[in-house]
Amino acid sequence: METMEQKLEILRQKREEVRLGGGEKRIKKQHESGKLTARERIEKLLDEGSFVEIDAFVEHRCIDFDMADTKAPGEGVVTGYGTINGRLVFVFAQDFTVIGGSLGEMHAAKICKIMDMAMKMGAPIIGLNDSGGARIQEGVDALKGYGEIFFRNTLASGVIPQISVILGPCAGGAVYSPALTDFIFMVDGISKMFITGPQVIKAVTGEEVSPEELGGGLAHNQKSGVAHFLASSEEECIESIKKLLSYIPSNNLEDPPYVEPSDEAYKIIEELNTLIPTDPNKPYDMKELIKKVVDDGDFFEVQPHYAQNMITGFARLNGRSVGILANQPKVLAGCLDINASDKAARFVRFCDAFNIPLITFTDTPGYLPGVAQEHGGIIRHGAKLLYAYSEATVPKITVIVRKAYGGAYIAMCSRHLGADQVFAFPTAEIAVMGPEGAANIIFKKEIEESADPIATRKEKIEEYRDKFANPYQAAKRGYVDDVIEPSTTRIRLISALEMLASKREKRPAKKHGNMPV
Amino acid sequence: MKKYRITVNGKTYEVEVEEITAPAPAPKKETPSVSTIEAPKAKAEPAPTPAATPKKATPAGKLTINAPMPGTILSIKAKPGSAVKKGQVIMILEAMKMENEILAPQDGKILSIEVTEGSSVNTGDILAVME
Repeated sequence: METMEQKLEILRQKREEVRLGGGEKRIKKQHESGKLTARERIEKLLDEGSFVEIDAFVEHRCIDFDMADTKAPGEGVVTGYGTINGRLVFVFAQDFTVIGGSLGEMHAAKICKIMDMAMKMGAPIIGLNDSGGARIQEGVDALKGYGEIFFRNTLASGVIPQISVILGPCAGGAVYSPALTDFIFMVDGISKMFITGPQVIKAVTGEEVSPEELGGGLAHNQKSGVAHFLASSEEECIESIKKLLSYIPSNNLEDPPYVEPSDEAYKIIEELNTLIPTDPNKPYDMKELIKKVVDDGDFFEVQPHYAQNMITGFARLNGRSVGILANQPKVLAGCLDINASDKAARFVRFCDAFNIPLITFTDTPGYLPGVAQEHGGIIRHGAKLLYAYSEATVPKITVIVRKAYGGAYIAMCSRHLGADQVFAFPTAEIAVMGPEGAANIIFKKEIEESADPIATRKEKIEEYRDKFANPYQAAKRGYVDDVIEPSTTRIRLISALEMLASKREKRPAKKHGNMPV
Repeated sequence: MKKYRITVNGKTYEVEVEEITAPAPAPKKETPSVSTIEAPKAKAEPAPTPAATPKKATPAGKLTINAPMPGTILSIKAKPGSAVKKGQVIMILEAMKMENEILAPQDGKILSIEVTEGSSVNTGDILAVME
């Protein structure tokens, strides 16, 4: 019989084996390719010493091909729980040093267990992805593994925040778990995501493309809109994850964390009175306005590289977390297009699911005209934004900064989609269309019959502008609650948020709506 | 119907290949190969892409600045040959009733300006070439 001393020795040995993962040689290789190991990543992400591992001794049970003799310490994934800034989170980190972090049945089972626990406890789940893909030797069992993760991702959606961090390859079916989660973080140079890699693409379509170009951090942050955040290093990436978590609650039944504000709540910001050019044709940087209004000028942008004509992000107003959406007149004139609608609708739904009030700054001339937009389905994509805003029951406050024309006026959280408070700057132009277009239609006859059509047209444009291109027509009907001095924006927003804190709004009971996805 | 992209002397053709043999179980490899030769002959015509490619292709080491949306060039602020800093305004594109600033994406030299004041442009048209 073994003595207690021996039993302890066996346990320690086994644990050490698992801790080493794929072994010193592979760990060295991981470091050489500019990546941290799964355990190092978890250590950096969680509060010091808070990580508790679960399922360290899980092993695969595949005996096909070479698998009977293959040892996979920890099954290629480290799972457990810990805290970030004192708040409970569940985490899994795929270990590339153990048979390429490939996903087999038991690897998936470890992830599923952690996901189930996260849901029960109402705590965020963070997945650190670094895997070569499905463990082919395990065949359909590997597919089952993916499927069960996707299923849980979907059940957890809107219940707990789900964060995916791509820290290596993530290809084929593996990409769909991150895609089902709320936020995807990527690191420039080491993250790659694609359904089919460059080799398959070359064989099938003949297109030649590098992995970085196809599915690197920039590709997904700028072009595809798949990812939400891009960092230049793993350390920077981990910092942004922590920052994101500071704005969001741990589950859908909690309110976002309140942070004791260091910024004065009721302050007049004089510069705002001169920030917006009175000439409606002159662009300006909407982010400047946002940064002046929010606590400490701290605006945490989501998807900063994608569809830049629409700004989305988190900030605080008097210590309370808010989700901000705004048109960016500096990019594409602040038009709504397919990508902007998509980006905004998704952000609205995240905020609504997690009790984060929405603040919308409107300055848009309308939907972007063009064949590509129409054939790309702007009708269907634009409808997502209407749907998302209408569906949202969190406090909704809108500030109409300048242009708010036609359908785009409605889409940017107008009173008619259920905004609780709508403010307008004196520079606001709220009308069915811009003065030029409107004058051409309304005064068509007068302009045609005039002795000097050009002068008459100009005159009529001015007439229309004076009469309709202002906030007062909408205020007359109560569509705008108040026309405010821009310098008072912060005060008015904070006051409205406090007034709306106890907002209760019910929607008809249904299984779920049919969002035009 | 299968689609192939074939490159002949550097020119790319998109061809569709249809198998004409009866859908008998497992036809021999030789049979379809006959139709593969015939089909492209009948249908091989340059796809619209190669024609458009030269216009939009970026010459090596050069950087093109393309129109982000359709509009009219209101004014040109930089001259060919001049050095520009990242974020400097190269020209103003009036579109959607907005004077959109077209900015230099990086530090460098303007090699050429491809438009004149008053010209209308479409999405993707080359506005300027930088080094």
